[in-house]
Amino acid sequence: MDHLDDPRLNFDYRTRERGTVPMDTERDRFQWVSEVAYKNVHRIVTRGYDTTELVEQGYGLTDVLFIDFQSRIPLLEEDKMLNYVMVCMLEDGLSSPANISRIVAGGKTILTQAAGSSILAFGHAYGAYQEIGKMMDGILARQAKEGKPLAEMVEAVVKTRLNDPALGVSGLMLKDPMAKRMIARAEKSGVAGQYVSLMKEIAKAAQKLSKDPVDIDLLGATGAVMFDLGFTPEATWGILAVTRAFATGAHYCEEIEREAPVRLGQTLTPKEWYDGPEDRPVPTLEERKKVAKAMEAQTPEEWKQTFLERQKIMGSGWAIVEEIDDPRRKI
Amino acid sequence: MDRQPLIKRKTAISYKTEEKTVVRGYSVSDLAEAGYTFYDMLFIIFQDRIPAENEADMLRYETGEFLEHSMSPSAASAIAVIGGRPNLPAAIAAAVMTFGSAHGPGAAHGYMMHKYIERARVEGKTLEEMGKILVDEYMDAGLAVMGMGQPQHLDGDPRAEPTHIKHEQLCSGVYLALQRSIEKHFNARRKKEGKAFVAVNMIGAGNTALAELGFSPNAAWCIGCVCRGFSCAAHATYTMKKGRAWAASKREPMVQMLDLSMIKYKGPADREVPSQAERQEYARKQKEEGEYKKWTI
Repeated sequence: MDHLDDPRLNFDYRTRERGTVPMDTERDRFQWVSEVAYKNVHRIVTRGYDTTELVEQGYGLTDVLFIDFQSRIPLLEEDKMLNYVMVCMLEDGLSSPANISRIVAGGKTILTQAAGSSILAFGHAYGAYQEIGKMMDGILARQAKEGKPLAEMVEAVVKTRLNDPALGVSGLMLKDPMAKRMIARAEKSGVAGQYVSLMKEIAKAAQKLSKDPVDIDLLGATGAVMFDLGFTPEATWGILAVTRAFATGAHYCEEIEREAPVRLGQTLTPKEWYDGPEDRPVPTLEERKKVAKAMEAQTPEEWKQTFLERQKIMGSGWAIVEEIDDPRRKI
Repeated sequence: MDRQPLIKRKTAISYKTEEKTVVRGYSVSDLAEAGYTFYDMLFIIFQDRIPAENEADMLRYETGEFLEHSMSPSAASAIAVIGGRPNLPAAIAAAVMTFGSAHGPGAAHGYMMHKYIERARVEGKTLEEMGKILVDEYMDAGLAVMGMGQPQHLDGDPRAEPTHIKHEQLCSGVYLALQRSIEKHFNARRKKEGKAFVAVNMIGAGNTALAELGFSPNAAWCIGCVCRGFSCAAHATYTMKKGRAWAASKREPMVQMLDLSMIKYKGPADREVPSQAERQEYARKQKEEGEYKKWTI
């Protein structure tokens, strides 16, 4: 009583072949293809440079980041600026990555689990480097194509994204000089370029359009400087998420040093925080037939009604409305 | 905008106000302005101190060489995860999480060193003597001596011995003395047993230097493993931008990582699915016969 003889199936399920697929000898065998690095028994090579020879010559982590991601040795001022950005990005107090690391540590896990999981905090709001990079590249590309004044192009974009967490301009750094000092340092050291200029234009437009005071925030400053250092939005996302992960190792250690581990079933959720349905009796399996009703919609109108009903159920996901042409782009 | 932390914790690491972020008492922005480097910051955050220049130089050396190691479990994981095209941080996180008891067991090596240095102190033995004791105890118990051997670099990890030499030059101390003794006695015993020479690996060399620099076993492990996250981000980004999603396309000139022909199956032979009417009897018999235990993992 199965459906495996249904004529709508794409092939005959009763006579399907068994066993694995033979080795493909027509094409080249599988190999790890990389433009980034290779190693053999005696060498580790990134972008053509032997890593031991690099460190013996005095190059360090920040230099190797330029080599790995950009295939070039940085100017001294670029290396210094990357250090500056990474110094500022290492620690951010009890923000999301530190919290995640501490929560994972509480389960009595190993350090790499906690530090690794902290990287997952970086998305399209917290550390939204991919988003801000796309926005800035989009503005620059359109300006190059259309030839309109930059200020005009920027204002048009900012108008639609004033409260976007990936704008790089907000009220977060009004009293903290870190972002402004970073921009000033990039300009002073000669590494600032079109992205720093663009970020300042974005700030100007946002200040004009916003009712509340706003200025370049840490995302805007670090993003613009990293892009001017030649890192792509994705490289920046990865580098700065990993930079933060070092400090989450310290948070992992402190959590274990100062707090007791958390056991399965230990954590309570206060009833006063709950605003779901009132407590109710569980129907018997007999009663279920009367209580439960199928929800499949048969017409678009019925679908709309159930859609709206479902939106009222917090935690169902129906109230999250997104247009996703590419699931990687979660705006 | 809610700016309160999600979890309430007493912390000696840092605080953040609307005005500044402070790590171990130092304003982060002031540190950056003063020209302190990322290497200095790792000492500040983990050890509450600004390092001497020779110490920062050693950390620059180590992190520079740790960063890229081409195809290891971490890079392979990053590449595999990005094949499904999730957000990039998912691939990097997975890569960092590959570090465990086989791939870069830095914390375990650190704790081993601490245990035997303490024993040298308590038992009044030299570190040279203690290295032999450690090797004998581990090998007698059939345990692997941590910090030795690398499956790809058969003549020794190319980074390891130069790291020892740099360590000797910049910050030599008890950890290096013990590690050198372990290596000497480990290979002396292997030679006696007719076994081939095995060189120190990057745990034995790199982690020893990090310990000498004052990083705890977990802090040292963090630095080593998270450092690799940078290059895994590069490998994932390269694959995302220039590789095929899913890694199974037949249109590629090379067989892909997840091509069907890459699967070699060694499990139970194909068998008929029992109907629900047959199920209870079938399952009872299967359980009694116990052949399934051979496959249970």
